[in-house]
Formats: sequence, structure tokens, C-alpha cells
Amino acid sequence: MKFTVNKELILEALQKVQAIVNPRTTLPILSNVLFQSDGKKLTLSATDLEVSVRTSIDAKVDKAGGTTLPARRLLSIVRELPSAEIEVDTDEKDIASIKCGPSFFKLVGISEDEFPPPPKFEGGKSYKMEQGVFKEMLQKTGYAASTDETRYILNGVLLSFQGEKLIVVATDGRRLALVEQEVEFPKKSEGDLVVPSKTVNELIRTLGDEGELTIQATENQVAFEFDDILIISKLIEGTFPNFRQVIPAQCEERVTIEREILFTALKRAALLTNDQSNSVKLLFTSNKLQIVTETPDVGESKETIPVKFSGKDVSVAFNPEFMMDPLKCLQSDEIHIEMTDELSPGVIKADVPFLYVLMPMRMS
Amino acid sequence: MSSVNRIQILSDRVANKIAAGEVVERPASVIKELIENSLDAGATHIEVEVIAGGRKYLCVRDNGHGMSRDDALLSLERHATSKIKDVDDIECVGTMGFRGEAVPAIASVSRLTLTTRLAGDVEGTEINVSGGKIQDAGEAGCPPGTSVTVRNLFFNVPARRKFLRSEQTEVSHIRQVFLVYALANPGVGLRLLVDEREVYNLPAGVQFEDRLRDVYSADLLKTLRTVDYVSGELSLRGFVGVPSLTRGDRSDQYIFVNGRPASAPAVWGGLKEAYRGLLAKDRHPVLFLFIDMDPSLVDVNVHPTKKEVRFRHPGTVRDALVEGVRKSLSGSSSSSVGMPGPSGTTVGAEPFRRPVVQIENLPAAAVFQYPRIPFEARDEKPGERSDDHAKAGIPAEERPWSWSRVVGQVGGLYVLLETEEGLVVMDPHAAHARVLYERLLKELADSSVESQGLLTPEAVELPPKDALRVRKGLGALQSMGFGISEFGGDTFIVDALPACLGDVAAAPLLIDLAQSVEEGGARAGVQKWAGERIARSVSRSAVASRDRLTLEEIEKLVVNLGKAEMPYTCPHGHPTLFFMSYSELNRKFGKT
Repeated sequence: MKFTVNKELILEALQKVQAIVNPRTTLPILSNVLFQSDGKKLTLSATDLEVSVRTSIDAKVDKAGGTTLPARRLLSIVRELPSAEIEVDTDEKDIASIKCGPSFFKLVGISEDEFPPPPKFEGGKSYKMEQGVFKEMLQKTGYAASTDETRYILNGVLLSFQGEKLIVVATDGRRLALVEQEVEFPKKSEGDLVVPSKTVNELIRTLGDEGELTIQATENQVAFEFDDILIISKLIEGTFPNFRQVIPAQCEERVTIEREILFTALKRAALLTNDQSNSVKLLFTSNKLQIVTETPDVGESKETIPVKFSGKDVSVAFNPEFMMDPLKCLQSDEIHIEMTDELSPGVIKADVPFLYVLMPMRMS
Repeated sequence: MSSVNRIQILSDRVANKIAAGEVVERPASVIKELIENSLDAGATHIEVEVIAGGRKYLCVRDNGHGMSRDDALLSLERHATSKIKDVDDIECVGTMGFRGEAVPAIASVSRLTLTTRLAGDVEGTEINVSGGKIQDAGEAGCPPGTSVTVRNLFFNVPARRKFLRSEQTEVSHIRQVFLVYALANPGVGLRLLVDEREVYNLPAGVQFEDRLRDVYSADLLKTLRTVDYVSGELSLRGFVGVPSLTRGDRSDQYIFVNGRPASAPAVWGGLKEAYRGLLAKDRHPVLFLFIDMDPSLVDVNVHPTKKEVRFRHPGTVRDALVEGVRKSLSGSSSSSVGMPGPSGTTVGAEPFRRPVVQIENLPAAAVFQYPRIPFEARDEKPGERSDDHAKAGIPAEERPWSWSRVVGQVGGLYVLLETEEGLVVMDPHAAHARVLYERLLKELADSSVESQGLLTPEAVELPPKDALRVRKGLGALQSMGFGISEFGGDTFIVDALPACLGDVAAAPLLIDLAQSVEEGGARAGVQKWAGERIARSVSRSAVASRDRLTLEEIEKLVVNLGKAEMPYTCPHGHPTLFFMSYSELNRKFGKT
């Protein structure tokens, strides 16, 4: 095949697909990007057999065909190339000649026949929503997913399309993040999907802020189609735990805090934690919140934040990282913390439909 | 049809030969049985003589109480013994043997001569047995005590004879047996003659330490730590090797239970735990341990040759071993024999080793005298930097060296140190890892246990065996930060996990920990999970093997390693240093 393409276009496309390329794979073909062209558009695909990403860009195609080239190396080359137009010409042995202004590269590729065929995708449920909205929902929840591979069902994010709503939930058993959004979809498309974290991260990276997103799902696969990109991923099979039962029905005390102030105070307090002692104590007293860290052999810190609070004194310890995670990705100026005592879960809420349940730490 | 009686009672001769199959495996096992008998007879001096690896001739002579003629004849009968009278006696047997099998068994596969005299008798008895048949029994003149001569072992069992190994191999087995009993009985004088050549002549009435020195070398003794530990009814004495002194197998591990060379799974388990994190994989420490306890708490009647014993309370034995061995390895033992130890040197005193040869144009390092204040390194040319360490205030016994001087670095990595006892080569990477490891362990032990609550309590159903372990270790697990309680049957409810474990599932963790809690006791369980986690993070932050180190850094490391609890290995069990004493150096150069 032979094509000429704009540097910025191919760079952007390569950056989109290369994130899922595993550099340490046992199958060399999986380190490569597939280039295909039918004469008008140039399609780039990458896969790790779990997730596959495909994107199309405009190119001047002189000879249709296909080849695969090493993703990381090609990306580094393209990034460093001097001028705007890049000409790529491949021979029958899949060796690509890359010409760009005064530069010339020969890059050894692998035949396109070895590239795993794209997963077949037929029928299933279908949903449509705004890209930006969906991206934000993933951002607000994705970090709470578990990374412990033995609990595979928690290694992803639950998309629950029920009623007229989409609820997105992620949990690792210690904390749980939930957002909900009204979405229109046909009644027959109701159902739960658990999308692997890797796919979620790829979506957060590639989803734009505007434009439509189409989600299609079958029994064990899901496809996200937006702009010129198609992401197909396996779904995590199994039943996601019943998240509703961990949301406390009611809490005794509620306090409203400025998000930014709480976040920066926690960030400072966390400076004095270490591997052995990773907790901050929150002391709620009359119109005052104190954030205290005491780590043996490291030191102590105390932050005092004025708050409107008139309930009973509550002292509760949390992992500061767990507390900061949701504060990082919320936009609202104020957040609400609800709690009961040092053993009951704490809840962080915002004025948007967001909910975060966090179990306290116990000291002995 | 005539009835055929297929089953018949075997004659004693056949029975003895069968017993011989179990008891008499090779010449060394004959020696073992005979030495045991001599010891049981109260001998204070035993002489062992073998010719041609014991096949042709072996003889064990003692000065014990001897036997009367009737006893001597009876002793050749199967299950005839003076050592027990009733079944109950087995429970509290204090003698080595008691089965009454050995002598007749040996007699059935050899030509045996038994010569014995009671101290008070005028004349002794000599009995000749061949293949189990008494040939003649007469009077003989002999010193008091018993002497058993075995000729042509296995002459009537060609199959066994074929399985004997070369003469050297058999001799080495015999030496091994001899050594075991020599070590177990320092009070008894022992002499070994191989092919009319004296191999050992060990004086009677010495302490174990002296016996060890006689048998091995004084150098070995220096690398051993004294164990002296009493826990309730159980006492643990002896020596254990520092972790840098290891063997590829267990051949240099001598364990005596009530003076009997024996072992049990609980002992191996305890030792493994005691040396956890100190040894490289598949390395075994050198040790000499005497475990003494009430005889009724040990069952020795498990194995025909009594190689293995069974403890009534294996857990107690294991815990005592872990505790006792750890204590002496950590160097807090008051009677430390010591690795490049502070033997004789007082704190702060610097041995002045006068240079034997003065090399004219070598820079000052070669004739360097050790000042008490830190030496100014900048006066030295690079590569010959030297310094010493004023280490006042640290008790000498807790350090591998009380005084040392950095001689330099070799191979871009290893640090050479001169200490009062010899040359030390230290791997700074491993040393740093050890220092960090101990600091983190200490921090961990000092910090309060934090546990992270779970959103939904997890019900964990365990297999019955694991459930039992978890139930037993419930308290330990709770103190480790598990929020765990019983939920009936073999199910447990976990509502919190130790915070430092991060993102993990409760069930597999619980099973894993339950096993290590059982293997090593509660303390080991906690230490293991904490230790392993720490070891991992330590290797990340330890000095990379190729990093350049400044002299100040190395000195600090040397001081810190000196203060470490287990200075000789890194957390992964690799050695941090090796030591070559001046006597070893002298020997290598042919000077004595």
C-alpha cells in the first residue's frame, strides 16, 4: 500500500490507539498497529485481544491495501518528523519506507493477515448519549474500581441502564462511587454491563466533550462508537454486587464544606502519612472540622477548617487518598459529608447526582 | 482333600533376620546400636574399631557395668532387655534402647562375639554366635565392661551385602554416627580406630563446647551462637550457626531430644521459622541443639531406629525453638560466642596489629595507626581512604564487629573492612537492604494497627482444616487488623482488613495467613506478612548495586549494620558480608 498523510492527523490517531498496545506481549503482532485503506480513508487499528480500537483519518491513498507497523516505534518516529506531509510506501515483505522532507526511514512490519480479525459484532442493545456526559460519568467513578485480579467483577465499572436512567458504579469493597444520569433508551435495552477498567481508561482518554456516542452491547461485548473511533471491548461476565445495600439509608450528621479547601487540607495532611500508617482523622466539633495526622516516627499535622456544624461531636478516620479521589474530579464548589460515628460509613455528596460511600479506618 | 496349613509362626531366627532388615542397614547402624548399648550400660569410655568399612570387622568396647553370664546369654534372645520391664516404662524411657531387638538382630546376620564381665566378678564370659546360632559360651579373661565384635557382617544375607557401598562411604557413615554420639555425650570418652589408625580420641568428662572444638575446629565455634533457653518444662541448649554459615543440606544439623539424636516435623518447622528471612533458598544452618524435657512428653517408640520422635505438644517445642534460636541469633544472648565477635576485646579498645612487613612506598594506609577520632579522609589518595569508627555507647555483643576500618571498595561494589578479627567483605546493597528492613519492621511494630472497614462484610466459608486454623488464630488475626468473627459452622464474617494490605480479597488472604499462623505461631504470622511486604519495598529503595557511595555513606552503613539485629543476611536471605579471620589468612599462606 502507499499513502500520503498529514503528520498531525496520523500523530493524533496513533496516540489514540497506541495506549492499548501492550509493549510486553508474547504475540509480536499485538505490538503493531494495523493500517488499512480501501482507497479513500486510512484506518488504524490496535488490539490487546480484550479491547480493540479503530480510528479513521483522511489520507491521499495511491495504492489500497494493508500492513501492520510497530506502534510505539512508529509513534516516536512520527513525533520527531520535520515536515507536514508523510509518505508511506510498503513492499510485499511489509517493509515500510517512510519519507518526510529530508528524512527517510525503513521500518519492518508484519503482514496484515496475522493481525487478529476484528470481533464480530451483531445486534444487541443500543443506547445513545452525549460523549461529554458519559466521559464525565466515567471520570467520576472509574478510580474506585478494584485492581485486585482475584475479584474480577470489581475490575471494571458497572453501567446499569434501568428505568429511564443510566447509573454508573465502581467499587473496590472499601469505597463506592456512583453517578446517575437520565438517558433515553428503548425499554428492551434495559440491562447491566460491566466494562473493564482498561476500556474505561481508554474511553476517558479518547472521548470528546461534544458529539454523540453510540453504545451497543451484546451478551459479552460492548462497542462504543463516536467521531471516527470505534472501541470494542469484552465485558466482564458475572453479577455486580448489589450496590444499593451499601448506601446508608440515613446518616445522623451532615456538614457542608468547600470542596477546594477540604481537598487542599487533606493533601497537606496526607504528606505526613506513610506506608504503615495511612489515615487521617476527621474531628467534627461545633462549627469546626479538624483534620489530624499522627504518624509515629514521622510527625503530626493539624488542619482546622471552619464549617457550619452543630451536631454531636464525631471523630472518624479515613484513608486520605480515598477521600481525595472524588474531590479531584468533582466540579461543584461545595460538597456534603454525611456520617454517623467512627465505625459507620461516611458519604460524600455533591449537588450533582453523585454519591461516594467510604468505610472508615479503625485504630487499635 | 487334605487340609494344608498355610500360615505358620516364624522361627526366632527368621524373625530376627527380618528385624535386622529394619535395624541393621549397614555397618554404621550396628555401631549406632552398640554405642547406644554401651551408653546405657553407663560406660565412661567407649572404643570403636572398624576394619574394611566395618564389613570384615567391627568392635565396640566399653567400660560399662557389664553382664553376668546368664544375662549375656539372655541378651541374645529377641525382646530381651534390661531397660524396660513394662509397657508403661516406654512412656518414660530414659535409656537409648528398649526394644531388645538390636543385639539378636545383629547376631542373626553376622558372626558375633560378646565378651563381658561384671566389675565384681572374677572372670568374664565370652559367647560366640554365628548367624544367630550360639556356637559356644565359655569363660574368658577380660576387663570389666562389654565388648561386642562383629565379623563378616551380612555373611548370610548376600542381598544386603550387595547394597553396601564402597569402603569410604561406609566409613564416612560410621564417622557420622560416631560424631553424633560423641557430640551428644561430651562426658564420655570416645575413640575411633579405622583400619588400625586412630581417627578420633576424645577425652572424657568435658563440656559440650570442648567436645565441639575437638571434633570440629575452633574456627567453627566462633561462628556459632549459644542457645540457652528454658520455657516451662522444656530446655533448649546448644549452638546455632549465624546465617552466613550455611550448608546445602542438613548434614551439619545435630538435634538431640533428651540426649537422643532424633528429630520431628515440629523441630524442622520451628527451625525454618526461626531462620525465616535469614537464609537463602535451600540453605540450611549449622546447628547443635539439645532439647530436654520430661520423657513422658516424648514418644520415642515411633521408628525402629528411633530416628524420629513424636512430641505430645509439638506447638510448645516449635515455639520454644523459634523463640530460643531467634534470641541467640539476634545477638542478645549473654554468652555469645560471636561472629567476628568481640572476643576478649573491650569496648572502644582498638587492637593494634603491628605490621609484620612495612612496605616502603605504600601510602599511609598500610601502616595506618588507628586514631580514636575519625580519620581525615581528605589526606588520603582515593582508593586508599581509610577511617575508623568510634562506636562508644553500643554494647559490644550486639555488633558483628566492635571495631572496623573501611579499607576500600573492590569491583565497584564490595566494601572491604578490616576488623579486630579479620577481613570482612560487605555487599553494601544487601547491607543497606537489611538496615532499611529492620528500621521498617521496627516502625511497623511501633505503629498502631490500622484496619480498613469493608463496605459489605464478607462471609468467608473455609474448608474444615483452614477453618480450624482460623478459629485457633482468631485472636492473632484480630490483632493484625482483621475485623473477623465467627459466623457459625466453618464460616467467618470479615468486616475489616489490615489497611496496609491495600486492595485484596479477604478469603484467599485469610487461608494464607491461617496457614502461616499455624506453622510459625501467632508471632510468625504477623511478622511474615509484614516482613514480606517490607522486604519488597526495601529492595526498591535500597542502594542500587552500581551506585557510587561516598566514604561517609559506607561508614554510616557499617555502623548501622553493626547495630542491626540480624546483620549477616539481607531480607531475602543473601549474605550481607563474609568474614575471613586472620588465622584463616595465615593458614592460607601456610603460616600457623
